[in-house]
Amino acid sequence: MLEILKNPNFDFLGKTKYFVSASVVLILSGFGFMLGTGVYLGEGAKGYGVEFSGGTQLIVRFEKTPETDRIRVAVPDATIQTYDDPAKNQVLVRIATADESNLDEAANAARAAIAAQYSDNRIVESSAEIVGPTVGADLRDKAIQLTVWGLIFQLLYIAWRFGGAIWGAAATVAVFHDVLVTLTFLAFFNYEITLNVIAALLTLVGYSVNDTIVIFDRARENLKLKKKDSLAKILNDSLNQTLTRTLISNGTTFLAVLGLYLFGGEVLRGFGFTMVVGILAGTYSTIYIASPLVIWWQNRQAARVPSA
Amino acid sequence: MERLTTNPFLLWLVISVAVGALVWTFMRKELRTKAILYSSFLIACFVSMWPLQDKIKLGLDLKGGMHLIMKVVTDDALRATVSDGVSVASSELGRAGMPGAQVLATGNDVFTVEGVEPARAKDARTTLRDFFPATDWTLSETPAGFSLKMTDPAKRVIRERTVQDSIRTLERRVNALGVAEPVITAHGNTGDQILVQLPGVTDVVRAKDMIKRTAQLSLKLVENEAMTRELLLAPGQTEPPPTMEIVSGAGSEPGTRAFYLVRKEAVITGRDLKNARPSTSGETGLPDIQFSLTPTGAQKFGQATGDNIGRRLAVILDGSVESAPVINSRITDSGVIQGTFSQEEADTLAKVLRAGALPATLNFLQEQTVGASLGRDSIRSGVLASAAAMGFITLFMLFYYRLSGVNAVVALLANLLILLGAMAYAGATLTLPGIAGIILTVGVGVDTNVLVFERIREELRSGKTVKTAVNNGFDRVWITILDTHATALIAAAFLFQFGTGAIRGFAITLVWGLIANVFASYFVSKFLFEWVLGDRKSETLSI
Repeated sequence: MLEILKNPNFDFLGKTKYFVSASVVLILSGFGFMLGTGVYLGEGAKGYGVEFSGGTQLIVRFEKTPETDRIRVAVPDATIQTYDDPAKNQVLVRIATADESNLDEAANAARAAIAAQYSDNRIVESSAEIVGPTVGADLRDKAIQLTVWGLIFQLLYIAWRFGGAIWGAAATVAVFHDVLVTLTFLAFFNYEITLNVIAALLTLVGYSVNDTIVIFDRARENLKLKKKDSLAKILNDSLNQTLTRTLISNGTTFLAVLGLYLFGGEVLRGFGFTMVVGILAGTYSTIYIASPLVIWWQNRQAARVPSA
Repeated sequence: MERLTTNPFLLWLVISVAVGALVWTFMRKELRTKAILYSSFLIACFVSMWPLQDKIKLGLDLKGGMHLIMKVVTDDALRATVSDGVSVASSELGRAGMPGAQVLATGNDVFTVEGVEPARAKDARTTLRDFFPATDWTLSETPAGFSLKMTDPAKRVIRERTVQDSIRTLERRVNALGVAEPVITAHGNTGDQILVQLPGVTDVVRAKDMIKRTAQLSLKLVENEAMTRELLLAPGQTEPPPTMEIVSGAGSEPGTRAFYLVRKEAVITGRDLKNARPSTSGETGLPDIQFSLTPTGAQKFGQATGDNIGRRLAVILDGSVESAPVINSRITDSGVIQGTFSQEEADTLAKVLRAGALPATLNFLQEQTVGASLGRDSIRSGVLASAAAMGFITLFMLFYYRLSGVNAVVALLANLLILLGAMAYAGATLTLPGIAGIILTVGVGVDTNVLVFERIREELRSGKTVKTAVNNGFDRVWITILDTHATALIAAAFLFQFGTGAIRGFAITLVWGLIANVFASYFVSKFLFEWVLGDRKSETLSI
C-alpha cells in the first residue's frame, strides 16, 4: 500500500485564530484593493467582461504582425491588446460604447478604420461581441441573483441533511470565504469578470460545499460512534481521517484545472485561474474556516446554558 | 450490413446480445444479471455517441457562427391595430350614416371619434360597440365625442402574438438563408426578446440584413411630389391632413430624393403578396422584384388601379419610397418593384418579401460572432487540456492505487461514455465551457473513487477481511456521495438558468456528468470489485 501519510494526526484546530485572522486580512486587503483601484466594486467599476459591462469587443487576426500603435491611431477611443499567443497576430479591440438603437455602429466604424490603416495586411475577424447596456445589466442582475439563490438552496440542503442550521451556515461561510478570496486574487492578477468566470465561481461553490460535506459527514458518523469525545476532538479526528482523501482528490482536481489553465487557450484562461485559486481556497477553508465555526458555535451554546 | 451500421437500435441489439452471451458463459451466476444490465446500458451509450464528430452537436463558440438577441418593438403592433381600428371605425360610421365623424389615432393604444352630431351619439355608440367589443376596447365618452382604448388583456395578447409571429417570420427567413440547425426562440423574462443562433454563418452583414429587414411593403396612392416637406403642406399648416401622410424616398429622376404626399390607407400591403422573385427590368436592365398577389389582394389592386389610371402609386418599403410609377392600366394579379437595387439586394429582398413582413421592428440587443478559425483553436486547446487532465489522473491512480487504479480508470472511461452518450441522445450542445465541465466531471469521478478506496484502506488497516472491507467501504461512503452530488446538482441547476449559450452548455455537461458519475464510479466500480474478488478467499487487495 502506497501511502502519502501514515495515520495523520495533526492538530488542525489548535491554531485556528491565526488562520482565521489571515483569511480576514486577505479578504479585507482584497476589498481595499478593489475599492482603491475601482475594480469590480463601486459605481462604474472596471474589470467586467463585455457581456456584463456592455460595449463592443472585436478580435481581429492579421496576416502579418500588426503594430498596435497604428490600430490605436485608427480607433482612438478603444483599448487595444494583443490577444492569445503573439504568433497568432491577434488583436483585441474593446470599445466601451454600444448604442442600443444602433448596436453595431461602433463596431462597423472600428472595422472600417482598421481596414483603412491596413490595406497591405489581410485581416480576418476572429470574433465580435456587441452587447447593449440592457442585456449587460440584465445579465449582471441575473448572475448575482443566481449565485445568491444557489447558495441559499445549498445551505438549506445541508441544514436539512445534518439536522442543524449551524452546519449549513458554516459550510456557507466557508463558501463565501472561498468566493471572496478568489475574487481578491482575480483582482490582484487583473482578470476580467466574464460569464466564464461566473460559471467557475458557481462551480467552485459546489466544490467547496462538497469538500466540507465529506468532513462533516465523517464527523456525523464519529459523533454516533464516540459519544464521549468533545466536538472539537471529533472534528479534528474527522479532518485527519479524511486528510488523505482531501489531498488526493483536491490534488487531482487541482492538476486537472491547472491543465485547463495552461492548455485551455485564452478563452478558458480566466475560468482555469478561478478554479485553480478556488480549489486551493476551498481545501483551506474546509479545514480552517468551516470546522472552527461549528466548534465556536457549539462552545457558545454550551457557555450560555451551563450544564450541571 | 449497411443497415446494421445505420440503425442504432439494431447495432445496440447485436452488440448487446453478443456481449450478453459472453457474460452468460463466463460470468458467475450471481453477477450475470448486473453484468448484462450494465454492459447493455454502456453499449447503448456507445452506440449513441459513436462516431463522436457526427453525434455531438457543437456550440457556436466551437463551430463558429452568430448569436443574436433582439427586442421586438411590440408597440409597433399596437399602433398597427389602432390604425386598423381607425379605418374600420371611420368606414363603419360612414356606412351608418355619419360620414362627418372624424376618427383619429391619438396614441399607441387609443383613438378618438369626434364630430358626431349630438343627436346621433347613441347610434354612433352602438355602431362602435358592435365592432369594438368591450373585452378588447374600453369605450368612454369625452367632451368632443368618444375615445376607444385597448384593454390590458387585449394588449397582452397582441404583444404575445407579435413575438410569436416574428419568430415564425424569422424562421422562414433563416430557412431561406439555408442555415443548418438554426435556433430561433423567445428569450428572457420580459416576453419581448428573441434569440437567434446561426451556426456556421459568418457573412454577418448579409445575415443581419436579412433578419432585421422589417419588409413592410405597402402601395399607396400619391397625391403630390415635391423636393421638400414644406412644399407639400397647405399654407400655414405643419402637418398633412389626417388621412394623408408624407413619405420620403427616391425621386422621379434617377439619383434624386423627394418627398411624397400619399394617402394613409394602403391599396395593398405585403400581406396581399403571394410570391416575389428577383428579376431584371426589361427597359433598364436593372435588377427589380416581381410579385404576384393573392386572390383578395388581386381584387383590391384591380379595383384601385382601375379607378386611378393616370395617377401615381408609391411603392413604400420599410417607410421609404422605392419608386412611384404611373398607373397605366388596370392591374390585377401581379406587379413589379423597381428601385436602385443591386442584384444581391434584390435577391435578399425577394426572399424577405416571400417570407413575410415582420409585424414589428426588431432592435438588436446583443450580437456575438465567432469565426471558424477561433472555434478550431478552441477545440484544439479544449482537447489538449482534457487529454492532459485525463492522462495525469490515469497515471496517478495507477501509480497510487495499483490494480484498484485500473478499476478507477475503467470507471472513468464508463463515466465519459455515459456523459457523451447522454449528451448525444438528448441532442445537447457541447461548448468550450462544456469541455471544461467534462474535465471537472473527471475530477468528481476520481473524488468518488478516492473516497471509496481510502475507506477500504481504513477498513483493511483495522483488520477486516478484503471482502468485508470492500463492502463496508462502499456502504459507508454512499451517503457522502449522495450529499456531495446533490449539492453540486443544486449549483448546476442554477447555472442552467443562465439560459443560453456557452454557460448552459457547461451546466448540461455538469448535470449529466454528475449523474453518470454516480453510476460509473459507484455501481460499475463496485461491480468490478465483486467480479475480480469473486469467490476467491483472497487475503490481499492491490489498493
